[in-house]
Amino acid sequence: MAFWRRFCRNRSALIGLVILGFVILIAASAGLLFPEDPFKLVGRAMSPPGENGFLFGSDTLGRDVAAGMAHGARVSLLIGLLATSVAVTLGVLLGALAGYFGGWIDDVLMRLTEMFQTIPSFIFAILIVAIMKPSINSVILAIAVVSWPAVARLVRGEFMSMRNREFVQACHIIGMSDWRIMVREILPNCLSPIIVTGSLMVATAILIESGLAFLGLGDPNIISWGFQIGAGRTVLRSAWWVCTFPGIAIMLTVLAINLVGEGLNDALNPRLRERT
Amino acid sequence: MVRCTLKSLTSESLVKKLCTAALAIAAVAVSSQAISQNAGGTLVMIAQPEPPSLAPYLSTSGPIGLVAPKIYNGLLDYDLDLNPVPELAESWEVSDDGLTVTFNLQEGVTWHDGEPFSSADVQFTIMEVLKKFHPRGPNSFREVSSIDTPDALTAIFNLERPAPYMMRALSAYESPIVPKHLLEGKDVREAELSGNPVGTGPFKFVEWKKGQYIRLDKNENYWKEGLPLLDRIVARIIPDASTRTAAMESGEVHYGAFGAIPNIDVIRLRELDDIGVTTDGYAMINPMALIEFDTTQPPFDSKAMRQAISMSVDRQFLIDNIWFGYGKPATSAMTSNYEPLGLYTPTANYPASPDVAAANALLDEAGIKPDADGVRATAVIDLIPYGEDWRRLGEYMKQAMAEIGVKLELRYEDVPTWLKRVYADYDFSLNVNYFYQLPDPVIGVQRHYGTDQIRQGTPFVNSTRYSNPKVDELLAAGAVEADADKRGEIYAELQNILAEDLPVVNLFEMEFLTVYNEKLKDHTPSAMGAYGSFDRAWLDN
Repeated sequence: MAFWRRFCRNRSALIGLVILGFVILIAASAGLLFPEDPFKLVGRAMSPPGENGFLFGSDTLGRDVAAGMAHGARVSLLIGLLATSVAVTLGVLLGALAGYFGGWIDDVLMRLTEMFQTIPSFIFAILIVAIMKPSINSVILAIAVVSWPAVARLVRGEFMSMRNREFVQACHIIGMSDWRIMVREILPNCLSPIIVTGSLMVATAILIESGLAFLGLGDPNIISWGFQIGAGRTVLRSAWWVCTFPGIAIMLTVLAINLVGEGLNDALNPRLRERT
Repeated sequence: MVRCTLKSLTSESLVKKLCTAALAIAAVAVSSQAISQNAGGTLVMIAQPEPPSLAPYLSTSGPIGLVAPKIYNGLLDYDLDLNPVPELAESWEVSDDGLTVTFNLQEGVTWHDGEPFSSADVQFTIMEVLKKFHPRGPNSFREVSSIDTPDALTAIFNLERPAPYMMRALSAYESPIVPKHLLEGKDVREAELSGNPVGTGPFKFVEWKKGQYIRLDKNENYWKEGLPLLDRIVARIIPDASTRTAAMESGEVHYGAFGAIPNIDVIRLRELDDIGVTTDGYAMINPMALIEFDTTQPPFDSKAMRQAISMSVDRQFLIDNIWFGYGKPATSAMTSNYEPLGLYTPTANYPASPDVAAANALLDEAGIKPDADGVRATAVIDLIPYGEDWRRLGEYMKQAMAEIGVKLELRYEDVPTWLKRVYADYDFSLNVNYFYQLPDPVIGVQRHYGTDQIRQGTPFVNSTRYSNPKVDELLAAGAVEADADKRGEIYAELQNILAEDLPVVNLFEMEFLTVYNEKLKDHTPSAMGAYGSFDRAWLDN
């Protein structure tokens, strides 16, 4: 409860949570609200918002923009969560090993991490998707591959600072295995920064996916917000609604996730806030 | 003249007055025409992308075609109805058996370096350059066994068999006549001429600033009296599409062809008073959007399946909603632009509006039944990776084909992967693509259907592996038939067979757009359009 109270102290985090909750609700009920395939050509092409029964208008082929947004919310959130999970798992694993053992293991893993960090992440993601066939799996993989180094560095730092603490030394003395010390003792103590970073990474992942889809590197069989914007960009002057509404959706969702992440940070690291 | 013959009927003085008035009007008309055709000025056109070289005798690359025909001449040019008109050949004669073609050349033609032009140049160009090094030359001139040059102004082509299509491959773009004295005894591929062209055309090459512009100046000694009208042509290289649009809008450039200005911007620009748009000048190219099928594998080894797809595509929808109204629904295996040649026949299975019910009935009848989910077949559709338009087309296909129970999944890869998949590995089911049908079916259509055109690894030939002895026979007969009517009959039969078999379903005849500033006049006097010489083009101030 203390956590929840601390979270609620941050008004903007609450607003973020409400928006995010709404997006999740829409994503969950997309199948009920718009039972048809969002790619289906359901009416007059380029109808403005509110006309011909289209809440947010229709695109160049007569597809319902609102239906695309609802189904796109699903894809965006799914990709955000999956890509982040993969990246966090990988990052935690490598960061923990490097931070805990140090020495040559640390050297090898950190040089590897740096190698990934020196490549601009979005361009790297484009490269990965372009080499593999654009599909939802390759997009998730690409986002995960460019996202894990940040987590690895963070976790490594946390593990290094913890590995010489008294409680860890005590564990060594009673003969606990390294694996158990890492997982059961140190990891729970550095969960809060991981959760905060992870939540912010979801927002980044959604942005990267949108960017890829905008450039035409998304899965052509799956609708997403970035795809909608990319498909509507050519008609921006004559049918502004096709990319404007999905654009607003991306902006609000990413903003909401960032606010929630900030709120989590405040709630999980209360001393940090008091210091500032 | 007519009025003067009325002399006996009316008073002489009245007739005199009338005749004087008529003459005066005629004089005014003539002089106003002369005044309106301003000589001088610099035309700025867009070359996009930058040409790899200026050697039209080695490569048919589009941007070379924009610049080189201003420097080189062909033997012939073609009017908007595709009729040949004189260029370097003042007149020509085809023998009755079609085996000898005699070209009488223009007098007083000189190369830009001052050397005289003669029939030896023609002989050398065709036999030693185009037949050996040009991408399409070996095909265009495959029947030419030798060229006789009895005098400096006569070139006699001796053919093995009649080759009526050759007469449509003699433009400056397709078959430029190049100087023998600068190429003879040299490695044609490496010769300096490719970067420093010397032709007989209306403009001389002056300068090429890589990445910026190519400058051509008026050829003062041009063999056509009083031409060219322009002082200079500057071909500017502007890689970014929105910058090109802005340059056109501001009047900085006068001319952009082959989609240099994207369609979506064209529909905005065409509303401006000083900007014009035309689809003329592409009749020699004839691009056709289409779907190729793997006819050797299920589900598209079934003729009924391919027919059903052709019947249920809304071609007009694609044109209106994806290509912004530019295009013409396909009605046959061959473009309707062949109509002036008498080679075009509208055929069955290309309905004006889609008929989903009939398509479903056809499939039911053929025994291709839908399963519990209404799915008759599933397949992956490959899309030509040339831009967003083609993805939209794929998305449309996926939806439209669901109506007849064909469940499609889209695949969009990079160009080399896609080319390898379709033309080297044959690892596809159906493929959205576009082909240039060019000015004659022998050059543009035959490669898509002939059994001898199943050339694994060569792009843009028969990937469907359709093989029909009757079709091969008709293609062979059509290539050598000199009589226009008989040729029309051969191709009519061919088109009907192809409409029945449909190894390729044509979607629509694409229309490229030329955008120009209204100040620029007479830029498209021939079917060559942007690939023309521009010797009559002029700028109105």
